[in-house]
Amino acid sequence: MNLEEYRTVFAAGSLVAMLIVAVPTLGLIVPFPSGMERFSEFWVLDPNHMAEDYPFNVRVNESYSVFVGVGNHLGSSSYYSVYVKFRNQTQPLPNATASEPSPLPPLYEFRALVVDGGTWEAPLTFSVLNPFSRNDDSAFVGRLSINDLVFSVNASAKWDSEYSGFYYQIFLELWLYDTASQSFRFHNRFVGIWLNVTSS
Amino acid sequence: MSGVSVLKFSFILMTLLVFASQFYVSVTSAQVGESEASSALTSAEGAVGSAYQAVLKAEEAGANVSGLLLVQLNDAGELLAKAKVAYRLEDFDEVVFSASLCSEISENVKNEADELHVETYGSKITVFWLTSTGSLVGVVAVGFGSFWGWRFFKKRYYERVLEMKPEVSSDES
Repeated sequence: MNLEEYRTVFAAGSLVAMLIVAVPTLGLIVPFPSGMERFSEFWVLDPNHMAEDYPFNVRVNESYSVFVGVGNHLGSSSYYSVYVKFRNQTQPLPNATASEPSPLPPLYEFRALVVDGGTWEAPLTFSVLNPFSRNDDSAFVGRLSINDLVFSVNASAKWDSEYSGFYYQIFLELWLYDTASQSFRFHNRFVGIWLNVTSS
Repeated sequence: MSGVSVLKFSFILMTLLVFASQFYVSVTSAQVGESEASSALTSAEGAVGSAYQAVLKAEEAGANVSGLLLVQLNDAGELLAKAKVAYRLEDFDEVVFSASLCSEISENVKNEADELHVETYGSKITVFWLTSTGSLVGVVAVGFGSFWGWRFFKKRYYERVLEMKPEVSSDES
């Protein structure tokens, strides 16, 4: 090698050494993307913490339980609100395509602060209460108890001849606190369980 | 007789007034209850929001918030949810009680989170200055080292070249 070539090797070696020495500071200034996908989990489980034995055929004045859960993978602690709503087959669900919640009013709600990578879970106990009435082609549910609080629902359901029952749905919407607007926004996730109210 | 009827009339009028005033008072107190509940709820909602933002700020600065802070804020959130449900059920006493407790807890969490943020941010700044000073000193040292190293190398290189003796090879053939 001649002197020019030695000089090039020397300069390159010095630059690499300088870069290595500066790496700790660069690490504090330049944000490196984690490459992880950011999302929230939302689930309802049966009383045995499984997705198998959900309450379905529901009797009036009998109590049923499920578990509601949220998993946070958004990269920072997140503040969630879970709205519990009740509907018959004709009332609207949230619109996932338009990212809009159901216009039905919430009955019950949970609030949860979940650390990144953490989960939150809470029991949801409910029962259909009187006044309940049914005839051959329609049923009426007057009140619903959720976690020992009683709510008026006044919901009618038509006889579903295809699936032979009077169907209602308890569904839950996940909302996320938006720090910019300082309010909750629908997080475009919802889960629900169908109930066939069988007898009084 | 007319004196008795005036007395009777006055008695009936007073009784009616007493009833009317009770009705008025009960309606007014119910309205105050609802507006108080609504304002307590709004203030609790704001307090939890501020506390959450303070916790988030502390977390961004590198503080560990998964312990007591988040547990306390979760308690505040539960109380707020309870107050909101109670408001829908028009149980305004419960609303005011839960919302006030929620505001109190949220204020404490916010103060603690702010303190934690200042502490963590302070130590983060110290670490930043130490690291950047270390890096700067390191880069300068590498620069100088390279410069003097190169000069030394170049000198040795020339010396070696100058020490070289030309050899004349004889052509015997």
